[in-house]
Amino acid sequence: MAAAGSAKVALRVAEVLETIVSCCVGPEGRQVLCTKPTGEVLISRDGGCLLEALHLEHPIARMMVACVSSHLRKTGDGAKTFIIFLCHLLRGLHAVTDKEQDSLISKNIQTHRRHWKNCCQWKFISQALLKFQTQVLDYIMGHYLSKHFLSIFSSSTKERTLCRSSLELLLEAYFCGRVGRNNQKFISQLMCDYFFKCMACESGCEEVFELVDDYFIELNVGVTGLPVSDSRIIAGLVLHRDFSVYCPADGDIRIVIVTETIQPPFSTSGSEFILNSEAQFRTSQFWIMERTKAIMKHLQSQNVKLLLSSVKQPDLVIYYAGLNGISVVECLSSEEVSLIQRVVGLSPFVLPYTSSRYETCNTALMNFCKPLILRSKRYVHLGLIGTCSFIPHCIVLCAPVQGLVEQHKSALHGAFKMLRQLFKDLDLNYMIQASDQNYASSPLTYKNSRESTPLPEIVNGSMQSPYQGTVVENKGKLATTQTYLKVYSNFVVPSVELETHIPRSIPKVTPTDTYQTDETLRYLSLARIVDDSEPFMESNSANSTTENTRIEISCENLQVTEIAGRGSMLAVREKSLEMCTSHGYCFSSIPAGCVLPVGGNFEFLLHYYLLNYAKKCHQSEETMVSVIIANALLGIPQILYKSKKGNYSFPQIYVRTLHAIQTHQPMVSSQTGLESVASKYQLLTSVLQCLTKILTIDLVINIKRQPQEVYDQDSEEEV
Amino acid sequence: MSRLEAKKPSFCKSEPLTSERVRATLCVLKGILTSSYGPSGRLKQLHNGLGGCVCTTSQSSALLANLSVTHPILKILTTSMQNHVSCFSDCGLFTAILCCNLIENDQRIGLMPTTVIKVNKHLLSLCTSYLQSEFCGCRILVDFSSTQTLLCLVRSIVTSKPACMLTRQEIDHISALILRAFLLTIPENTKDCLLLGKSIIVPLKGQRVTDSTVLPGILLEISEVQLMKILPIKKSDTFKVALFCASLSGDLSDTGEGTVVVSSGVSLENAVLDQLLNLGRQLVSDHIDLVICQKVVHPSLKQFLSMHRIIAIDRVGAALMEPLSKVTGTQPIGSLGSISPSSYGSVKDLCTEKFGFKHFLHLIPNEATICSLLLCNRNDTAWDELKLTCQTALHVLQLTIKEPSVLLGGGCTETHLAAYIRHKICNEPESILQDDGCTQTELQLLTEAFCSALESVAGSLEHDGGEILTDMKYGHFWSAQPESPSVVDWPDLLSRCGCGLYTSQEELHWSFLKSTRHPFVPQTCLPHEAVGSANNLTLDCFTAKLSGLQVAVETANLILDLSYIIEDKN
Repeated sequence: MAAAGSAKVALRVAEVLETIVSCCVGPEGRQVLCTKPTGEVLISRDGGCLLEALHLEHPIARMMVACVSSHLRKTGDGAKTFIIFLCHLLRGLHAVTDKEQDSLISKNIQTHRRHWKNCCQWKFISQALLKFQTQVLDYIMGHYLSKHFLSIFSSSTKERTLCRSSLELLLEAYFCGRVGRNNQKFISQLMCDYFFKCMACESGCEEVFELVDDYFIELNVGVTGLPVSDSRIIAGLVLHRDFSVYCPADGDIRIVIVTETIQPPFSTSGSEFILNSEAQFRTSQFWIMERTKAIMKHLQSQNVKLLLSSVKQPDLVIYYAGLNGISVVECLSSEEVSLIQRVVGLSPFVLPYTSSRYETCNTALMNFCKPLILRSKRYVHLGLIGTCSFIPHCIVLCAPVQGLVEQHKSALHGAFKMLRQLFKDLDLNYMIQASDQNYASSPLTYKNSRESTPLPEIVNGSMQSPYQGTVVENKGKLATTQTYLKVYSNFVVPSVELETHIPRSIPKVTPTDTYQTDETLRYLSLARIVDDSEPFMESNSANSTTENTRIEISCENLQVTEIAGRGSMLAVREKSLEMCTSHGYCFSSIPAGCVLPVGGNFEFLLHYYLLNYAKKCHQSEETMVSVIIANALLGIPQILYKSKKGNYSFPQIYVRTLHAIQTHQPMVSSQTGLESVASKYQLLTSVLQCLTKILTIDLVINIKRQPQEVYDQDSEEEV
Repeated sequence: MSRLEAKKPSFCKSEPLTSERVRATLCVLKGILTSSYGPSGRLKQLHNGLGGCVCTTSQSSALLANLSVTHPILKILTTSMQNHVSCFSDCGLFTAILCCNLIENDQRIGLMPTTVIKVNKHLLSLCTSYLQSEFCGCRILVDFSSTQTLLCLVRSIVTSKPACMLTRQEIDHISALILRAFLLTIPENTKDCLLLGKSIIVPLKGQRVTDSTVLPGILLEISEVQLMKILPIKKSDTFKVALFCASLSGDLSDTGEGTVVVSSGVSLENAVLDQLLNLGRQLVSDHIDLVICQKVVHPSLKQFLSMHRIIAIDRVGAALMEPLSKVTGTQPIGSLGSISPSSYGSVKDLCTEKFGFKHFLHLIPNEATICSLLLCNRNDTAWDELKLTCQTALHVLQLTIKEPSVLLGGGCTETHLAAYIRHKICNEPESILQDDGCTQTELQLLTEAFCSALESVAGSLEHDGGEILTDMKYGHFWSAQPESPSVVDWPDLLSRCGCGLYTSQEELHWSFLKSTRHPFVPQTCLPHEAVGSANNLTLDCFTAKLSGLQVAVETANLILDLSYIIEDKN
């Protein structure tokens, strides 16, 4: 069976989702209770969670949910706004096309609008949307909106310092959309305290975000049955288990981590132990005992007071540990072990294989180590001394029910994700028509104009590093690359942002420098080189008169970015690079820490500038798309001010805000709080991408057959 | 291999609280809870249609654990209460009833959830700050120089569990035992932090309640056969004890991940047994008197030990290991090889005793914070209830040590608090009105809902159809006999208020709890002499009740805030 996959259907689906989601939006939003088939009860206001829990059947709806979840994976925020915005866009499109059809009947058809009538009208719209997203949006963001941005960093000094009060405002606004009404303030205070307690120095805040985001589960303890207000922050690390043996100790406490049983086993895997006599058995048992004893004695002599083990230790080890005054915690999860390793910079204790000599083992100092009792359950409380910029602290989250603990946990985790995003620069690139001379010539004050980037240095640095033989880890985006790198450990990837700089660095690369890199790279994935390199070669040949060998190199360089997962982005940019000569091509960025006040300020601003832009536009499609998007943006503040009356009703606010923008006055906002610009921008692009995806579908075909397993052909080739 | 099956779409429902079915089920649950509340509460008999034992109870922990609720809202409510009970053991029914009342009252008013939640939160903070303040009129500081207050607290708890089936004398006896058991767990000389010991409850069913007793140290149950083997224990000052956590059964221990090849004719069992007997020899030469093993002891080793007049007790289980190591003052031994002399423990005395039909080996420690509470009751269900009660009381005593104050019980705290809140909101409503943006009328409606929820918790204490009243001076709770004449002479009819602090002979004015009355200022700051003179007060645990109040309001807020329920029916 097939159904028309038109925007009408999508609109109907989106409207249903909107009604569910809109009750949870904003500070006035309410909670939703989700039950699981296992009997668990979850309380949530998180849009992504709700959409997942609905288990939607309609294919268009499922596509929307997939788009939302991929957006959430990237930014961790904005699922509800996504649906509302998408719904308003579809509504706007629907209204426009309806009107068009009416006008077709009544009036004479204007020739340049004839194509709306066709069945492929949606396709044109989707193309116009894509064009808008890639070209117009960035331009408006970088050019008009940027002057309204505030920063979370206090600007008094040259170095950027984090302003506590603005961080509080930001977090408060974030938690307004995430946790129940009566806990918003409390949780955001808790988070703020936690962050400032964990941060050793201002410069290390990125590291703190990264660490907390990665090990969030290990860094909090949920306690049910207590009021939420009993939640607190405790210094040190809490392990979710009890001591196997606890010996109170104070003063100089050292810890050691082991990942295997200390008592040597009779036989290791893959080996055979032949017993010929009872005496032999006795002596081997005696030897095992003596060895265990000796190791524990040795640990004691090193002043070790706590043994952390990722495996279960035999009774014998526990006994000798107790005799030597060493406390033992067993069965730590691998995450806990790696967290401790990262915080104190400690590597596991390797058991010596010869019994005669023991070297000084790896130990770390700590302040205290004691049992902690929360709700009659015992935990291990360690006062670790952090060696990195993270000072270990734990959050104890209390709530009457587990569902609420989970909600607060995920909200806190999401907040760290959001902050991690906020502290990164976001690149914008847009094209300025050559005719608009005044735009092109206007100095872009804080933006990285492409000429000013220190390109040569980066190229040299990146290409020389293979000879030094050190591994520079690319942060964040290059996760996939790293897995490859483990295999070729002598190979090095430069730590610069490859996708921006490499295309322009090609002409300067000398063949000898990159030769080794090529060799290794060719192994990585031969299959991909072929299809991806083509647009590149074209652009290269168009750009400069390079020799064949250089093009070859550029192919390999492209490969590096391909692995980094940004191949498609690169291709798009290459195309625009070609146009460099005729148009002013701008690289700009939303700097880290850009925020705007909450209460629809971003939407109002963008609405205003889009309408202005639409007036100047020459092409009708562009005008129409801009107007539709501009009007759809208002949907979000509409819901936010829905329950407000009188002076704070939506029309009043709208008129006042637009007036304020026109007269260059500061905008008034009834709410206090800040929100990240980058996440808003990302949300907008994600929604537009989703919409283009929906519009390009013209038929939904329903197949009633068991899904067949699809083998990934690429993966076989790679093996 | 699992079958692939498409997930069924979830079931989504808006505004769940408005549905008639939810209200009805909430009402049923409330009925169950209120009818079980207090000393004269009705008992509930829970039995599973598919088998299992019948449980007669009126305690929230037993009640909620056995009830199976299906509606998600009720599930939230009951799990919230269960979590509270597992944290504090006490005040479970109070919390649950208050939560139900609040939901019902606020739902009836039908205001916006936003306003309701804001006002409730504010009222709660008024309550908590009043209860914690110095001039609170329903809180008593515990005087640790006498046991009077603590005994009253324990007796109130035991009295409020009618399913234990105790007479007045039995209640006194059990209360005294519980207090004594608790006092035995307090270490005599403490340094900076107080580490309480443990009271082990030893079951002895089918005996009279007055046969229950408390003994310092540990009682290890032994069979009659074992008892015969134990020769008369020789007298000495101390007895040396070896406490093993490793198995002495002679089984081969873990041999690692590889393979072990044993040549024919080599018997590893023999080798291990030799090792065990060597261990036995060492124990004999170290003059051990008692060997206790968590796991199994090999019969040959047992035989060997008894030949040398060493008592061997095995299979004591993991739960007893910690108390045992405290009593003997040593770490459990995990090695079969050479044992360092420092890992032997000792006890002051060792004797066999018989209680009822059971035989026990009694370990009397030199100085330890472990005691055994030998608990008797006539039948199984009553014993289970009594055990829960004892655990609750012991836990409450621990909480009271941490936070040395108690609240007046018998409904007086609730009515007093309601009177205080009414007065506070009536006289100074500005504090809420200016920052929360709700109107005066809304505030008054919601305050009335909150206060009447509190008062009807107190009212649930009365089950026999009697009149429930409150006085206009202290705001305490009074209940009168059911068949009161229409024109009443209250001072004669009433004797004491709910907590027993005030008598009706004072110049007081009463008013029905259900009727509307003018807000009045309840007398704050308890007079010290009044507390000292009254010796039979009904008291409640401060920590448990305070937290119960908070949890009840928070849970009610949470439930009122729900706009959708998404049920995953896969």
